[in-house]
Amino acid sequence: MNADRAVEEAVRDLLRSRSPLARRLAELPDDLRLGPGGLGLDSIALVELLLDCEERFGIGGIGGSAGLLAGPPLTVDRLVAHVRAAVAS
Amino acid sequence: MREVFDELERRWVALASGSPRLALSGAGTLGRLRNRLSRRWPSPEQVRALFPEMEARAAARVAWRIGGLEARNRAWVEGLKRSGLDPLRPLVRTPPAFAALRPPLLLVTFHVGAVHALGPALERLPAAVLGLRHGPFYEVRPPLALETTEGDAQRRAALFQRLLAHLTGGGFVAMALDIVPGAGLPVPCLGRPLELARGPFALARLAGVPLVPLVGRWRREEVEIVLGEALPPPLAEGAAEWESALAVSAGLWLERYLRASPAEIGLGLLRTLLGPEL
Repeated sequence: MNADRAVEEAVRDLLRSRSPLARRLAELPDDLRLGPGGLGLDSIALVELLLDCEERFGIGGIGGSAGLLAGPPLTVDRLVAHVRAAVAS
Repeated sequence: MREVFDELERRWVALASGSPRLALSGAGTLGRLRNRLSRRWPSPEQVRALFPEMEARAAARVAWRIGGLEARNRAWVEGLKRSGLDPLRPLVRTPPAFAALRPPLLLVTFHVGAVHALGPALERLPAAVLGLRHGPFYEVRPPLALETTEGDAQRRAALFQRLLAHLTGGGFVAMALDIVPGAGLPVPCLGRPLELARGPFALARLAGVPLVPLVGRWRREEVEIVLGEALPPPLAEGAAEWESALAVSAGLWLERYLRASPAEIGLGLLRTLLGPEL
């Protein structure tokens, strides 16, 4: 498994650990929203998920992912791309 | 009768707009009188529903005072809209303990007493303060800056992240507990269920900072800031249990405060606690 794939799997595992709905789904589509209209994570759960990612991958302190929440609705692939980019840098 | 008093109050506040003390004092008198004549908003019976041990005459006096409190709050907001905070700042008194507060700290409040008058007090804190506000903004001075609590889950998540970063960076955050934008934490208060916002308790847990209750109370036409002791950190292990235990502690603080000062309960919180009974 290459590094990118490993990061993606780890992010998806973190998502499943935070979202009961994600645990019930066989697949997590790339364009699945993490908040309302998707996995339904509330504001606190979204931040805790980002903190999980920061801790798991050692990718900067709190607020390092501020831009991610300021943009369009957060989806599985946006989160994966963000973590990949942060790990690579 | 309501319309008559609304009009009287509006005219009085407009007439006395050059003197906030006069506007607030007159509004308070009108509010008490309105309650005394109408026996509504709230009625003495509603007060007794929350404080059943209170005698009927004492409940009537508390109801009058709540009528006065509400009117002074309306006059404060009207003054804020007309002239901003400058003429109102001198009316807010902070205790010596207030200046001794050191960040990082979460200052939490409830919709009781002079709830709109906390801004000038927060401006006197010795480090950067992020204050959360639901509703229209007004101009404040550094070190206080205001953030809105409105928006969808993702916007609120972005706000939560900024607050967390602010606290871990050594700042103050001030917010109300009894406004619940998302899922709340149920706590008992005066024998009734009350839902508190989960956010402040999650912030306290994630940032590892204490929660300190803070409320404003009217002393004639001035506002006195009342500072509580920091709520003791719960012994509970899990995150949800820890937050719930801290929320219960906050609910108990509010209950103790209102038992000692029942006339400080605002109509909004009274309605929330009484629910369909009101």
